[in-house]
Amino acid sequence: MKRQIPLAFCFLFGIAMIFTQFSPHSYSQAVYKEVINWGLIISPFAMVLAVVTLIQTHVTRINLRTEHWQYSLIVFVGMIVMVLIGVPFGPQNSIVEWLYNNVQVPMDATMFSLLAFFIASAAFRAFRARSFEAFLLLATAMIVMIGNVPVGDLVWNKVMSWMPWTDGASWLRQWILDVLNNAARRGIILGVSLGVISQSIRIILGIERSYLGGGD
Amino acid sequence: MLEKIMNMDRRVIFILVALVVIFPTLVPVRMPITVSEPTRNLYDFIETLPSGSTIMIAFDYGPSSLAEPEPMAKAVMQHCFSKGIKIIGMTLLPNTPTLAHKLMRKIAAENNAVYGEDYVFLGYRPGTLQVILGMGTDISSVFETDYENKTVDEIPMMENITNYDQIDLLLDLASGSTTEAWIIYANTRYGVKIAAGVTAVIIAQMYPYLQTGQLIGLMPGYLGAAEYEKLLNAPGDGTIGLNTATYAHLLIIGLVILGNIAFFIQRRREG
Repeated sequence: MKRQIPLAFCFLFGIAMIFTQFSPHSYSQAVYKEVINWGLIISPFAMVLAVVTLIQTHVTRINLRTEHWQYSLIVFVGMIVMVLIGVPFGPQNSIVEWLYNNVQVPMDATMFSLLAFFIASAAFRAFRARSFEAFLLLATAMIVMIGNVPVGDLVWNKVMSWMPWTDGASWLRQWILDVLNNAARRGIILGVSLGVISQSIRIILGIERSYLGGGD
Repeated sequence: MLEKIMNMDRRVIFILVALVVIFPTLVPVRMPITVSEPTRNLYDFIETLPSGSTIMIAFDYGPSSLAEPEPMAKAVMQHCFSKGIKIIGMTLLPNTPTLAHKLMRKIAAENNAVYGEDYVFLGYRPGTLQVILGMGTDISSVFETDYENKTVDEIPMMENITNYDQIDLLLDLASGSTTEAWIIYANTRYGVKIAAGVTAVIIAQMYPYLQTGQLIGLMPGYLGAAEYEKLLNAPGDGTIGLNTATYAHLLIIGLVILGNIAFFIQRRREG
């Protein structure tokens, strides 16, 4: 029963939601709207689950004294402070806003900014034309990068002024994105979409049951 | 010498990156910008909207990536307010409401726009797909109140807005995969017109949707923001950011070329 009931619900709602996509009848649309409302109610529980998982993970780290376990304490301090102020006074409270603008925003931005340093270092060390394929990748990346900034067209218009085309760097970048990139992306999108459709059918029909847990 | 170049201390590269970011920020050098077609399409679409139209802006970026989408948001909001186009702001990300609300307030104040009449910020609700689909039938069923806790049905500019049918354009400013969710669930299911402003790393993902017309326009990273500012004739953060990005791009290209020259010379010597 523990398995049959969820499978029956999954089948029922899956078929019903597919049906609502093709039927404009008012009853069908009422069902669609109702199910969406249920979804809106259920969604916040995913956040509760996320918080519980976060707490469990960091409590385990502190208990086991794993490497850098002290940072888990900082997670709890941050979370408790924001909850104590944010929940009773709301997100527009001046202290919550101050903490957000002066702690979270700069820290998040700093973490992301560090990527620029690592990308530059990694590009220098790893981006080598070791084979013909690697050379093609390298050349394409260089063209897209140079076409992505105004200096590309500036140099093109000065150095290649004898050519009939102006703004060649941005044109080349655009051509790579419009033609080569589109062909590859479209293939990926079609492949993923077919995979999603087949997986959805398997779930609705109860063939794929791994989402129920238990390694089935 | 060759060995030295090949084994360059990465701290030297870090210092070079820091210099190419700091220098152009302090001493801006204006470079000519060529406006790409996807950015122009978005500008032209908004330009042709009559006064009183409504666009919805989804601020789907977090503090970590705000450097690129924020200048786009500023430019588009400035354009909309100058034309009397109303803006509904919202976000699908939990850590963005404070950021987006502050930005909307700032740009609105600069353009004398009034909250509740010219713009409104709905805030955040959990559940990406449910929020997108739910707003297709009734916005107030998803957002009963706005970010300032006012009942949505009582906000003057929301009086005649029920769902996407009254929204002329949805602009997703994103640093992740939300644009694809908007396209799949809002454009395909409800037919709402969608445009996007995305960070440079995900531009390539967006091009198939531009070609099919599912995206009516696209602002690609700093370049898109700078292009939009050029069309508005109001250089701002996007243009400054593009300057910095230009030098950073040149440095990386230079390092890659240098690394490859050293690599080929060494390979020839060894081989």
